Amino acid sequence: MAQSPINVGSVLARCGRKCNVAFRLASAGFWRVRSGPLYTMSSFPTRRCLAAVALTVGLAIATPAAASPQLVVVLNSDEASLSIVDRQTMKEVDKRSIGREPHHLMLTPDGKELVIGSTTTNELTFLDPITGETRRRIRNILDPYQLGFSPDGKWFVTAAYRMNHVDIYEAKDFKLVKRLPLQSLPSHMAFTRDNAQVLVTMQGSNQLVAIDLASQEVVWTADVGEAPAGLYAMPDGKRVLVGLTGEDAVAVVDLAQKRVVKWVVTGKGAHNIFRMPNDETRVLVTNRLDGTISLFDTTKLEVIDTIRAPGGPDDLDFTPDGKQIWVTQRWRRKVVAIDLATKQIVATVNVGRSPHGIYINGPHTVSRSVAPPPEPTDDKTAQTPKASLPDLLPKVLAPLFR
Amino acid sequence: MQGLIDIWVDVQSWILETVVHPLLFRFGYMTFFEDAPFVVETLMLGVVQIGVILLVFRPLERLAPAEQWPDRKLARVDIVYTLLSKLGVLPFVVFIVLYPVNDWLQDLVRDNDLVLPTVEQSVPWLRDKPLLLFATYFLLYDFAGYWLHRMQHAFPWWWALHSLHHSQRQVTCWSDDRNHLLDDLLASVYFAVVALLIGVQPGQYVVLLLLSRMVESLSHANVRFGFGRVLDKVLVDPWFHRTHHARASAAEPHIHDSNFGAVLPIWDLLFGTSVYDYKRRPTGVDTAEADADNGKGWVGQQIAVAGRLARAVLATFRPRQAIRPAE
Repeated sequence: MAQSPINVGSVLARCGRKCNVAFRLASAGFWRVRSGPLYTMSSFPTRRCLAAVALTVGLAIATPAAASPQLVVVLNSDEASLSIVDRQTMKEVDKRSIGREPHHLMLTPDGKELVIGSTTTNELTFLDPITGETRRRIRNILDPYQLGFSPDGKWFVTAAYRMNHVDIYEAKDFKLVKRLPLQSLPSHMAFTRDNAQVLVTMQGSNQLVAIDLASQEVVWTADVGEAPAGLYAMPDGKRVLVGLTGEDAVAVVDLAQKRVVKWVVTGKGAHNIFRMPNDETRVLVTNRLDGTISLFDTTKLEVIDTIRAPGGPDDLDFTPDGKQIWVTQRWRRKVVAIDLATKQIVATVNVGRSPHGIYINGPHTVSRSVAPPPEPTDDKTAQTPKASLPDLLPKVLAPLFR
Repeated sequence: MQGLIDIWVDVQSWILETVVHPLLFRFGYMTFFEDAPFVVETLMLGVVQIGVILLVFRPLERLAPAEQWPDRKLARVDIVYTLLSKLGVLPFVVFIVLYPVNDWLQDLVRDNDLVLPTVEQSVPWLRDKPLLLFATYFLLYDFAGYWLHRMQHAFPWWWALHSLHHSQRQVTCWSDDRNHLLDDLLASVYFAVVALLIGVQPGQYVVLLLLSRMVESLSHANVRFGFGRVLDKVLVDPWFHRTHHARASAAEPHIHDSNFGAVLPIWDLLFGTSVYDYKRRPTGVDTAEADADNGKGWVGQQIAVAGRLARAVLATFRPRQAIRPAE
């Protein structure tokens, strides 16, 4: 009878999740042996592995908080869980319980914590953005669907999709300052470049609502089209792009005129909008019905390329090298990695039900409301300015396995 | 297992991408875009349930019937109820009607800042134990269901509605969904309130919810077996629920006011409403008015029961006498 292999590396990684080195070794696929009822020691490279374990443990102790640029956090919005995906093995390596129906996530202004909103549990969970460990929770945040910090780091704003309101909290202590009841289904938000307003799309009442952060009142409302969702504040500070999920286009709204001045066709179900790494003039627009992602030039206001991404692409994030996007496929219960150069899907990973928000630890993450820190040049130095010991480990250990 | 999940998700995705989403887009209902996967999955689960009824429960009814009938004419209307319910027609109507009610409830919570602690917030130890957490929610919902069922029997006006479920003289595996539309609506409002009070179950347990619906269909099946004298204290079986559907008589005027549990009999054991005498009794009601439901079609029954409700409301000050059997 065929026996399933026991991946000892994977077991080790689970036992000591904080042990980044073991994690990297497991990811590299070391120590994979075929099992009997228990794995047979005769087939097990005991000496080599003991040496490797000793080295691993030693190095883990030496570098306990080493960064893991391989970590991807995926929120399973139809569950009460998040998936941790390893980008190297392209597998879900952990699934953790959090509050129910987590949809979106956002880094705190200092970038030290990743905030997740659990909408039906009415709470925020704070993770370590590097290790993914839970640090703290804050309760009584009513229906925190979409989250955002004002670029000055002063305000924390939530859009309550189910409860039809926008809440403004003090970012320093998450104390509620203002609740603004709105019409129907506030879904996405963006802050204006001058820090003065937060713009919110109303997916049910087809509006764009502008809220003044100083007075904390709605200052204007504009009809923008069917089921508006994702927003992108243009670099000129004068216009904003709105993804229209009920249409096949992105609307360009002039903030001074407070109206739509142009529609640009992208694809059916145009939904969310993300700035390309290091480039404010190009954004990606997910078209959920067409199953495509449009590369959109914000200066010419036109689509310059289209990437096929079947399965209703929703949220995405960029890898630290900026070469790949990882996209959530809500109803397919998967995330896919797409190479931006070849436009090909390079990996598909099974996660939980209705994966929505996604976070990749790195300089190009879209889950950042404030200006990113100086950008390193490649993947391996994304979190640590110089090559870390875990990155060197495979080379160090390679002779053991020859 | 992952293979089965993949097939399930592939079928769901195909239905969504080729049928549902284009229709929503075409007719401007993209507001419901995010709800579509749930609706499609509910339909798929309904198809699976109907398949299990046809392929498992019906053969069991043929093999070992509890009651022998010359024909199953009276049971046919229950097939209509099952199809309308499990294929989403009735739930859709309930959803449309309840939409404003749900909005009102949500606003009530928001405007009064009624953020109640959820189970896992009250008992943080349960946070990292999803199966135990689910079991807790399942217990709470089944407990809520038990008391809903008791209210359906206790209030004369509600019994006027619920007596339709009991009036069937040929209770079969199709009978679980035989309910008046208003009865379904009231139950939905009740569970919406419960959901707001204690939270809702995470979607990943949809398979277990399917199994609970299966238990309910099986408990209505016309079969003469149970789960044994130990297991039938754990899970509702056909013997247990058939007693609940027993026709009242002068000797046992309240026999149907027993065994209210839908999935777990523990509530009946705790609150003294369980009957485990393993006697075979005919099913149905002993009042001519409700018994007249037999022989009517779906529309006829809905109209007749609406009239019964109206009379019960008018007779509020003379509760139960005109409606309840054997009183």
